[in-house]
Amino acid sequence: MTEEKKPEERKKRRTATEAAGRVGSMTKAMLANVPQAKGEGRPIAYSFICCCYDEIIRAMDITPHWVENYAGICGAKRDAQRFLERAEAENLSRSLCTYALCGLGFDAWREELGGEMPPDAPWGGQVKPDVMLGSGQMLCDPRNKWFQAAQHYMPDVPTYDLNLPWPPYEEDYDYREVQDDYVKYMVAQLRGLVEFLERHTNRKMDWDRLSELVDLTDRTWNLVHEAYELRRAVPTPMGTGDAMNTMVPLSFMMGTQQGYDFFKELYDELQQKIARKEGVIPDEKYRLLWGGGLPSWFALTDFNYFNSKGAVFPAETTYRMVEALYNFDIDFARITDPLEHIAWRWLKFWTCRYDKTRQRPGSHPDVERLIDYIEDYQIDGVVMHEAFSCRSWHVGLIWQLNLLKKIYRDIPSLVLESDIIDISSYNEADTRARIDAFIDTLEAVKSRAG
Amino acid sequence: MKVEAGGMALVDKYCQDYGSRARELKGQGRKIIGGLCAYVPVEIITAAGFVPFRIKGSVSEPITRADVEMETIVCPLVRSCFDLAVKGRYEFLDGLVIPHACDSICRTYDVWKYTLGLPYSHFINMPHSDNDTSLEFYKTVLNTFRKSLGKFAGREISDDSLLQAIKQHNENRARVRQLAGLRRSDPPLISGEELARALIAIMSIPVEESISLLGDVIAEVKPRASATGVEKPRIMVVGAQLDDDTFIRLIEDSGAWVVADDLCPGTREFWPDADITADPIDGLAERYLQKIKCARTYREQKGTYPEYLEERFGHIGGFIRDFAVDGVILYIYKYCDPFGFEVPAVKSYIESLGTPVLYLEDEYSKSTIGRLRTRVQAFLELLGAK
Ligand code: SF4
Ligand code: SF4
Repeated sequence: MTEEKKPEERKKRRTATEAAGRVGSMTKAMLANVPQAKGEGRPIAYSFICCCYDEIIRAMDITPHWVENYAGICGAKRDAQRFLERAEAENLSRSLCTYALCGLGFDAWREELGGEMPPDAPWGGQVKPDVMLGSGQMLCDPRNKWFQAAQHYMPDVPTYDLNLPWPPYEEDYDYREVQDDYVKYMVAQLRGLVEFLERHTNRKMDWDRLSELVDLTDRTWNLVHEAYELRRAVPTPMGTGDAMNTMVPLSFMMGTQQGYDFFKELYDELQQKIARKEGVIPDEKYRLLWGGGLPSWFALTDFNYFNSKGAVFPAETTYRMVEALYNFDIDFARITDPLEHIAWRWLKFWTCRYDKTRQRPGSHPDVERLIDYIEDYQIDGVVMHEAFSCRSWHVGLIWQLNLLKKIYRDIPSLVLESDIIDISSYNEADTRARIDAFIDTLEAVKSRAG
Repeated sequence: MKVEAGGMALVDKYCQDYGSRARELKGQGRKIIGGLCAYVPVEIITAAGFVPFRIKGSVSEPITRADVEMETIVCPLVRSCFDLAVKGRYEFLDGLVIPHACDSICRTYDVWKYTLGLPYSHFINMPHSDNDTSLEFYKTVLNTFRKSLGKFAGREISDDSLLQAIKQHNENRARVRQLAGLRRSDPPLISGEELARALIAIMSIPVEESISLLGDVIAEVKPRASATGVEKPRIMVVGAQLDDDTFIRLIEDSGAWVVADDLCPGTREFWPDADITADPIDGLAERYLQKIKCARTYREQKGTYPEYLEERFGHIGGFIRDFAVDGVILYIYKYCDPFGFEVPAVKSYIESLGTPVLYLEDEYSKSTIGRLRTRVQAFLELLGAK
């Protein structure tokens, strides 16, 4: 039997690395910076992660408020329900992205209070922005509908919709035939964003600064890649539980020195741990891949539960939105326009496994990525999470697992079902029973293999 | 003049055995290209010499096979379509074209493609915004599709054949507009249910046959006397795709006429034509990206917020005035992000025009639709009491 734990009763999740342990206070400081910037008259932008505009807003000294992060915090504190219910009262379906519902519920409430934060708003709340930067054709529908919906409560806040498509993987044409069209379009969209920001925030783009930050981001991408590659070690020095913390500097501090420094420290720490043969757990029995799905922010301790059963997660696809740039088939040094640089980096990220995919009949780049990680990190099983409210990351997972088994090998897998922040979808006893059964399967496979 | 009971009877036949005509044509050597959603540029498929065929779901058939490959958190309509396809209901398809309409459609493209394993599949990577740079990009996307389909056809799709196809599809749309326009009178000459069935039937046949079928239906419906009788509330239904007449019938059985819609198939899809342009792709791109008003496309805000609402929802207001609508039912599927997020804004927009709105969320299944009956009846009573 489980007991529903109140937020304050929940134990803090144990992290394996010191770096991950520092993320909580970094996040708090990042959030506190937003009302402070607002107080100082600096423009605030509601922003999404992985939208390629990190360097642009930083170069223009616009402060991002990361709406997904805020919703995630409400979820992690098990305090999202009242905002979700508030959104439902506004006629927004509970089946929609719960990050968006949480954010919209919050905004509706705050605006109804004349701009005052709703009572006991987690970590100081979410301030009214000056602009909202949505994104279509990339990752998900809520990213262009959310801010449009938010205008219902804040009609005076302008929004921009940034389109950043990448070429789909198809057999009958090579993405290189169309890549120039994609880059041209992305650059036009990014340029449109700069103009939009200049028009609505009274800031001018500092193009030299932008180039510097683009370079800093490149270096950060490489560094993150190299740090995460260290997790191949046996025993692995860092698991997915920690990566759900280090996603904060990865996703919310890209294009900042602070983000870069964080990963430098993480890199050093992981190296030291490897030298000391210090793993997430001392007796690593099963190495698992977190093969897809955003985590349940209110249940990160499930990762510790896996650990308690001898299982570790040396790799995950979630939030690992970087690759080593030096592996791409492009010479970035020849690109002088920073916007074009950003566009190519993005396009090459999404297409970097297309050539490899063609070599395995019936394969798909998403499945190739799973195979790469399975081999590179010596993986015994794959775990995924299907969050009911987000179609973009959670549709296609079952098919990927089926295809993986068909074209590669029959590897044990587990698909957990819940949500990112809606705790009403979660049942701890059930989840843990399923984990137990999965561990039994892993054990059976292991002993069969001898 | 052909006035025998041909039109509506044929409509019924095609609805009852959806796909039967495509199956016959396949037997005669035609190639059938299936698609999901109003954003499949059917003109290009017609120009290639193929039959565009809209894959349809079924509210009365339980989903039994889809879940093996597809998550249950997908739009219930898409899941139903996929379930039928996996069960072999559309075994005559030679190919599949899926546009980037919404997450439920876009994210399942690979699931469709790899599961069905048809000889041809293509994803149309349509941008989300309607601004000019997006339009330029979208033209390149359409040209990629044109080239790819031409390769499958074994011949290039010429400008001439495209132009020809555009004219045919425009003529088809003009006929739909004419037929749907017969709902203006009070009482309407054609019921909402009949119109829904006609529009479903024509999703499954080649455009030239659709033009002729619609001609027959119009000839059959037009002479109907505009009978006077009990006054019934005139309802408009606004929502995403509705490829089934069950819900419309429920409204009409409850004592109303469905006289207008913003649906697919429906006015959303058939009101805008493609302009005839020197490069035929230009006219097509404008039609699909800028003229079709669907929640999936982000409209750039140019003026004030009230002007923005007018730009997004003004056409709904237009139909309310034009078709003397008494009340609007917002009919939204669970898991539909594009339409779901618009509910507060569109509801308040319509209410600001003085028209009452009933918002219903549904799961595209006969049992869930049945449960909506009491709410529809209560809404109609409220309208009647006005
Ligand atoms: S990716 Fe998923 S969780 Fe994130 S905003 Fe989009 S729908 Fe929501
Ligand atoms: S109803 Fe909504 S989710 Fe379903 S296909 Fe249409 S836009 Fe997509």
